[in-house]
Amino acid sequence: MKLKVLTVITLAFALLLSACGKSDADLAKAASEKLGAEKVSGVSVVVKDGVATLSGEVADQTVKAKAESVVKAVEGIKSVTNNCTLKPVPVATPAAPDPALKGKVEENLKKAGCTGATVEVVNGKITVKGTVPEAKYTACVQTINEAGATGFDNQLQKGK
Amino acid sequence: MSLQEKYQSLLELANNNGTTYELSESDSALVVTGVAPSSEAKQELWDEYNRIDPDYRTGDLVLNITVGDAAGGGVHTYTVEPGDSLSKIGAKYGIAWKAIFDANRDQISNPDLIHPGQELKIPI
Repeated sequence: MKLKVLTVITLAFALLLSACGKSDADLAKAASEKLGAEKVSGVSVVVKDGVATLSGEVADQTVKAKAESVVKAVEGIKSVTNNCTLKPVPVATPAAPDPALKGKVEENLKKAGCTGATVEVVNGKITVKGTVPEAKYTACVQTINEAGATGFDNQLQKGK
Repeated sequence: MSLQEKYQSLLELANNNGTTYELSESDSALVVTGVAPSSEAKQELWDEYNRIDPDYRTGDLVLNITVGDAAGGGVHTYTVEPGDSLSKIGAKYGIAWKAIFDANRDQISNPDLIHPGQELKIPI
């Protein structure tokens, strides 16, 4: 009889221990490591009673959401308060003056085989008109995007 | 809806497929400048862009993604055509012929002599 009681007590004790699980400090550490592994930087985690609070400045909304889902997935975290702020997006400046940008786009288009397109550049914004072969349309748009402009008015038509 | 929200799934994809990027905004567009780990990753981004904005018509996104470790990445080159001269090429880019000459001294010794098909580095 005594043995039975002892067993029950021991079992109950063991259960209690595992229910307590990790401490807040352990959880915070696990969350930070997981964030690091997922390449989320600039986010710090504080855990209190299993509730994680995130803070820090992140690049954009996507990173903020990712940080939250990563921490939520850590075993033992009950909920997440996401206080991360978004870094203000800087104003885009063109990579090169207009004539240089124009020359670059024209040469890129030529290399991509996009004949028939005409290029205008004003204040870093590219306007491209004309007709390019349909099969090359995406390649043409890509090469224009890669010139370093800050705007793109796409008036290209798909032809044969 | 902000542009970042409109293109959120694209940015998410970039985060997940290993593309590093920076955002900036001009008065007309969201500018995404970055490097993708492979041309497949880059193509995924373009497919997503096409899904959000069919045929890339709206013009509110500039997706400047290059593939990492690509040969000659980042340097703009111009292929010489018959009839070209350094000053003529310079005029296309609004720069002085001398600037092109200086950037290509390794392959041009006489500025009056360039050959069709030659690839010149353009310092812009």
